[in-house]
Amino acid sequence: MAVETQVEMPMARAMTSRERRWRSWPQTPSLVFLVVLIVVLCVTTPGFATAANLRGVIEQVAVVAIVALAVNQVVLAGEIDVSTGSLVAICSFVYGNVALSQGGAWLPLCAALIAGGAIGAVNGVLSTYGRVPSIVATVGTQFILRGIVLLAGGAQVLNLAVDSRSFGAGAPLGIPTSIVVLAAIFLAMQWLSSHTTFGRDIYAVGGNSRAALATGLPIHRIRLLTFVLSGVSCGLAAAVLLGQIGQLQATAATGLELKVIAAIVLGGTRITGGRGSNVSPVIGAVLVGVILNALTLNRVSGAYELLVLGALILAAVSFEGVRQRLSGERN
Amino acid sequence: MSAPAELLPTAAADFALRGVGKSFAGVFACRGIDLNVRCGEVLAIAGENGAGKSTLMKCLHGYYLPSEGHIEIRGVPVSFRSPRDAEAAGIAMIPQEVDLFPELSVAENLFVGRKRPRARWGGFDVHAMQLRAREILASLKVELDVAQPVRCLAAAHCKLVEIARALNQDARLIIMDEPTAALTEREAENLFGVVAQLRARGLAVIYITHRLEEIFRISDRLVVLRDGALVAAGPTSDFDTSQLIAAMVGRPLEQLFVRNPHPPGETVLELRKLARRGQFTGIDLALRSGEVLGVAGLIGAGRTALAQALFGIAPADSGEILIGGRAVRIRSVADAVSLGIAYLPEERRSQGLVLPFSITQNISFAVLARFTRFGFVARRREACFAQEEARRFSIRGADVEAPVEVLSGGNQQKVLIAKVLALDPRIIVFDEPTRGVDVGAKTEIYAVIDALAREGKAILLISSEMNELFSMADRILVMCKGRVTGTFERDEFSAAAIGAAAAGVARSRA
Repeated sequence: MAVETQVEMPMARAMTSRERRWRSWPQTPSLVFLVVLIVVLCVTTPGFATAANLRGVIEQVAVVAIVALAVNQVVLAGEIDVSTGSLVAICSFVYGNVALSQGGAWLPLCAALIAGGAIGAVNGVLSTYGRVPSIVATVGTQFILRGIVLLAGGAQVLNLAVDSRSFGAGAPLGIPTSIVVLAAIFLAMQWLSSHTTFGRDIYAVGGNSRAALATGLPIHRIRLLTFVLSGVSCGLAAAVLLGQIGQLQATAATGLELKVIAAIVLGGTRITGGRGSNVSPVIGAVLVGVILNALTLNRVSGAYELLVLGALILAAVSFEGVRQRLSGERN
Repeated sequence: MSAPAELLPTAAADFALRGVGKSFAGVFACRGIDLNVRCGEVLAIAGENGAGKSTLMKCLHGYYLPSEGHIEIRGVPVSFRSPRDAEAAGIAMIPQEVDLFPELSVAENLFVGRKRPRARWGGFDVHAMQLRAREILASLKVELDVAQPVRCLAAAHCKLVEIARALNQDARLIIMDEPTAALTEREAENLFGVVAQLRARGLAVIYITHRLEEIFRISDRLVVLRDGALVAAGPTSDFDTSQLIAAMVGRPLEQLFVRNPHPPGETVLELRKLARRGQFTGIDLALRSGEVLGVAGLIGAGRTALAQALFGIAPADSGEILIGGRAVRIRSVADAVSLGIAYLPEERRSQGLVLPFSITQNISFAVLARFTRFGFVARRREACFAQEEARRFSIRGADVEAPVEVLSGGNQQKVLIAKVLALDPRIIVFDEPTRGVDVGAKTEIYAVIDALAREGKAILLISSEMNELFSMADRILVMCKGRVTGTFERDEFSAAAIGAAAAGVARSRA
């Protein structure tokens, strides 16, 4: 009954619509924060603004960013996936063992992608048709997968041949391969989000699942597919990770899932779905990388890393809440 | 059912319902409905709350599968398994609540679930989508920035985007459920213009509204539903306001319960010019101890908002509340409870009860401190108390340790009453206390209300059932669009007068 509250929106306001749109981007606050941080670090921290250092930062965050780009889609659809750490570990095992027996890089990659996709599908089926809340389902698979990795390869330490490390090591075009892979994935996700029905539907399902259902969108199938996407990205991330470190251990990628969620949240994607962009998780991941790098360069003890990360996540989430309240948004 | 024959010859109907009925757990929400809609006309559906309008429309829109009867499109029987089927057949529905995707742009919203245009290079042609969106909106004489997210739009524009969405789906029949409920007068005017355009374009429109003046303003024909049956139909010009109201409320009123008369005491609660922005305004009322004040009105009239303001859930933002003659402030539920106000919400399952908890736990929930020593709950005293209360309100069906979710609606309501009364309030607000409750339990709830009044409690009874108000209330206050539009003493009770006040039709009292 909003009788007196409705105010006609004057069309004159449309003049500033470009500015308004820029302000309404989900990644705007984190982008501004990142730029300010980089400017400050350039001035205050010697050694930060070198090409080698910046390249190193991005290389370091590549694995997190690749997975975050896919999990971002899961979050946009209104679900969550916290099994990615173990998923990357098990995909690394698949990759490593195929690489050892068959050699090369492409065949192991295919095997890792298939394994990741299959496990992602299990997560998806549990969370949608199985009606297990996705946070619970993926915590479950997270433990199970890590258990399998420990049982199957607990004592195993593999060293990969150079030709199997081509997704994470080297810079054939002058740009580190892991950064090339990250860029390719980013572009692929951009395409998915803006030019495929599936990509658009993800936003619809996460933004208003009731309306999506009424429109006849297959919401379960869409959500399931985002989990598959997340799993496949873990397969790819495993290839990059193994390429970078060259060695396979059962504890690989421990804690990755939380860094992934942190990157997504810091970047500005709404944790309950429907709002966010592909830029968000990348900015979030770079932000995490830059902050950790700044701590290292300023010789702050490593023990502070976790503390700073946790504080940042809380700050980012409460910032979003405050922003919503200030701008008087619905819900 | 001896429904009056519809005037339209069957052959001319583009969309038709044939003997459609829908039952829930054996109870029919509507039954035996025959309805014809022709392209190029606006059909209004009138009826009181609970007459079956929404259920019927949900059958037509494929949300429910009719329990009996079927739907025909141009004479061909069809069966919709989902809203998607109905939309493919050209039937779109614009629900009362805005149902868009807030984070997506206006143009995107028009294309969700539709085939999006593709550019030559293979991607979506965003430009073409925006162009199409602008075209459709322009055809409705609306200018909007189609690239902005829907979240930024005013309610009136959201309605128009929903209509544009229906047009983009090539809908030939658009069902509008209370489209003006959230609009200002001026915005509503615009919407009427849009509806007229849709008709001129050869679309069929089904228009559901509680506002009678709108029916006369824009509809060509109307049908009236009452208690799930079609009771009147014909060209709108054949009706006038009083005939329409008579058709809507027309059943003989029966006495559901005989109150034990007793004189009311002094004034307990007084409201002066109470208002909450966008909900209700200028509410004056006085409630005496031992009195049952009925509050009538249609859904969205601001009755529940008023109750929630009294109980501090959504506090009033201007005006005065006096309790026992003293001005008080109610800013939170805790304030209200300490002032002796109790509220039994309409949505008892979601707002009042903890369903998996036992009867005992639910009843003692609010007064647990009474049985608690050093942080431990004295379970035996708690159980004794609950048992006593259960007996007092004749809660049956299970022992007090059973979870309340297994109880019938009536017994759940009684548990809620027991819970609320455990706080020994002076003022009790009942919001639709007998909705979804069977006849026997209804009488018991009425007996409880009567007993409370005799004990000297002051009672506000919000109800959409005229019979209930006539039987229980000492006075009836009628609300419409957030204002009080009439107060009736017991000897002035008349269904027609109250119906007119609730619909906002000015009418001299007989």
